[in-house]
Amino acid sequence: MAVTQAPLEDLLFRSEPDWLLDLRQTAFEAYSRLPMPSRTDEEWRRTDFAGLNPSAYFDFEHVLAHDTFAPNLPEGVVAESLPVAAKERRELVEPYLFKQLHAERDRFTALHAALFTGGNFLYVPDGVVIERPIRAESYSKQSGSVVLPHTVIVAGKNSRFNFLDEYIGDDGEGDAYRSGSAEIFVGEGAEVGYVSVQKWGRHAWHFGDQRARVEKDATLKLFSVTLGARFSKNRIEASLVGPGATAELKAIYFASGEQFFDFHTLQDHQVGNTRSDLLFKGALQDTARAVYAGLIRIEKGAARSDAYQANRNLVLSDKAKATSIPMLEIDNNDVRCTHGATVGPVDPNHLFYLRSRGIPEMTAKRMLIQGFFGDVLDRIPFEDARKLVEAELEARIG
Amino acid sequence: MATQPKPVDVGSDYKEKYGFFVPEDYVFKAKRGLNPEIVKEISFMKGEPEWMTKFRLRSLEIFRKKPMPTWGADLSVIDFENIFYYLKASDKQSKSWEELPADIKATYDRLGVPEAERKFLAGVSAQYESEVVYHSLQKELSAKGVIFLDTDSALREHPDLFKEYFGTVIPPADNKFSALNSAVWSGGSFIYVPKGVRVDIPLQAYFRINAENMGQFERTLIICDEGSFVHYIEGCTAPIYTTDSLHSAVVEIIVKKNARCRYTTIQNWSTNVFNLVTKRAMAYADATMEWVDGNLGSQITMKYPSVYLMEPGAKGDVLSIAFAGKGQHQDAGGKMIHVAPNTTSTITSKSISKAGGRTSYRGHIKIYPGANNSKSFVKCDALLLDDNSRSDTYPYNDVDADNVTLGHEATVSKVSDEQLFYLMSRGITRSEAETMIVNGFIEPFTKELPLEYAVELNRLIQLEMEGSVG
Repeated sequence: MAVTQAPLEDLLFRSEPDWLLDLRQTAFEAYSRLPMPSRTDEEWRRTDFAGLNPSAYFDFEHVLAHDTFAPNLPEGVVAESLPVAAKERRELVEPYLFKQLHAERDRFTALHAALFTGGNFLYVPDGVVIERPIRAESYSKQSGSVVLPHTVIVAGKNSRFNFLDEYIGDDGEGDAYRSGSAEIFVGEGAEVGYVSVQKWGRHAWHFGDQRARVEKDATLKLFSVTLGARFSKNRIEASLVGPGATAELKAIYFASGEQFFDFHTLQDHQVGNTRSDLLFKGALQDTARAVYAGLIRIEKGAARSDAYQANRNLVLSDKAKATSIPMLEIDNNDVRCTHGATVGPVDPNHLFYLRSRGIPEMTAKRMLIQGFFGDVLDRIPFEDARKLVEAELEARIG
Repeated sequence: MATQPKPVDVGSDYKEKYGFFVPEDYVFKAKRGLNPEIVKEISFMKGEPEWMTKFRLRSLEIFRKKPMPTWGADLSVIDFENIFYYLKASDKQSKSWEELPADIKATYDRLGVPEAERKFLAGVSAQYESEVVYHSLQKELSAKGVIFLDTDSALREHPDLFKEYFGTVIPPADNKFSALNSAVWSGGSFIYVPKGVRVDIPLQAYFRINAENMGQFERTLIICDEGSFVHYIEGCTAPIYTTDSLHSAVVEIIVKKNARCRYTTIQNWSTNVFNLVTKRAMAYADATMEWVDGNLGSQITMKYPSVYLMEPGAKGDVLSIAFAGKGQHQDAGGKMIHVAPNTTSTITSKSISKAGGRTSYRGHIKIYPGANNSKSFVKCDALLLDDNSRSDTYPYNDVDADNVTLGHEATVSKVSDEQLFYLMSRGITRSEAETMIVNGFIEPFTKELPLEYAVELNRLIQLEMEGSVG
């Protein structure tokens, strides 16, 4: 990487408080120390990032807060761009920032933690309910640049709100390095809907980590949409740490051309009486490839846990490839765990039925693809996001 | 070496526990450890042709270079330098019945295994009483042109046939343990079934008398020529006692056009054994390969029977059960590699963990580009009998072809309270009810076994289940 320590402080982050610079410094040391993941590491065996040269990208774009946050937020809610919040509300930001996502995890996470370029911070105090969804956008249309937005969401006890993170690029732009990570803290009894839509330009490299910690009786409804980037690696992980915690993890992806999407998920049941429900559905066209690897882990004491995990792939071309690895590690007998994976084409019987009703093949196929995504689209936790995702999907299936 | 791994000593407390001790009085024994001299010595003692000696030496090189697998069970305690790689067969079996551990003898009694068979299973006697049966069977087989020998004899008596197929399905470089087996193999079965011949009765290793039967590094090679059928049964339900701590076999099977082969294993090694086995079959046009694989014994088993579906219409089946009790880790599963179009495969896995045991299903479905219109279905069910036990599922599914249907399903559960309540309300005790439920759970497996095995397996499960409640 061409970035050295000097520009790190002088050029990029000059105005940031010392504690944050220290955090960046530690992460940067981890980045310098950690090796590039190797194809012999289980997590990276099927992930081909040959052709990626991080040092080729050193033009940092700062994506600062803009008018995306909902206006007229209730009292006590803090919604700021992350750098601003870090400067002005240290007492709120420091206890959470990079506390779930650790720079030591691997080189790409370390890079993100060292050089994140903005993103948003949302703090919702105990008992506060926000009806209108909060929307954040990170965008870039610049080739060769680095954009590394980071989202921190802290939901107080019994709070309730929805958040939409959008990553927007332009398909016309060239090679670029992108990330988009989120740390979500769901306090006792809180209910958080989180939707992320990744539609970077088709030539970008994307590395994202979404990590949530769900406390007692709290509910997280996470919905992740992956459409953009030539290469996208996403880790989506939820730890259920209090009884009554629930995590719904849903995702859709639509890959075409030469896109490569990689998803790693974790449903981490640390205590009993917790529930998780995961469904990842994707369609693959042309020479696109998708890798899904997910783990349900039920810890020893986590009795009466209920976990479900499914990955469904619709393969629309003979050159597309899908890998699906749904894994279970169950250390308690009083649980209900089920998982499944399917890879298959459009059902010829369904196609035949539609054709026999006089519907042209292309239209019929499109209807079936829409139908495939239908049941999971219904699970998008709020209306605005649902409309957005449906429109995006429609445009791509088209 | 910088760090010397701890030697396996899992069986070392037999002496204290059972007052039992195996005196070492072998006539010939290769030196401890593994080096080219020992490998040459093994080959020389067996009077092998030069190509085999070279094959063994080359395999040893590969074994040295290959790293230990870092996945699956913990194998770091195996000390390769502390193992005898060759014991002369006839001397190996000269132990006496009285020397066997009491619990193994007791289990034989309770299973109702006939005396002669018991001695055979225990490795005590090489003399099977029913020599008459044996001879008439051999006569019948050779009349049909079927070759059924131990692998060492096959190399001597059918060198050309042997050389044509040996090591073609599982090359030494496949993995560390196939390399080890290729370097030091001894014993195992060799079967050749000619075109169109159906072998009606299941072939079992103990039909071959005076042969090495269940060696530490056995090597089995089965060739089913076009349109033929054979069912081979390896192992037995009764526990097999061995003082060897490492069992590393290689089984290669070739199923030609329209042929069908079924290979049934019931592995019940004593719980001091590391059982690391490579089993693979190649299935050609419209051929069927079926692995029926039961794993009950051993401390650690790592075994994933696989089928390479090489030509259109080939079909592969794996039916696997694993039972892990105290201190056991059964890491078992199956692999289906679809190379040609219109191939189908199914894997059904049932696992039971109790008293702190751990079962893992590990599987791989690979559908190569061009293997269009292939179908594969995997189903794994795990039963956890108490909250000390553990179950894992690691299914790898890679689809690189068009119009492929692949499905994977797995569930993990405990014995359901409703089922227990129902049975107990009918006056059945809790432990009987649990045994019935477990036997019902593995029924898809038992119903594929020959009757006498199924009966024994049910009885064995009953024994294993006793005392598991409360």
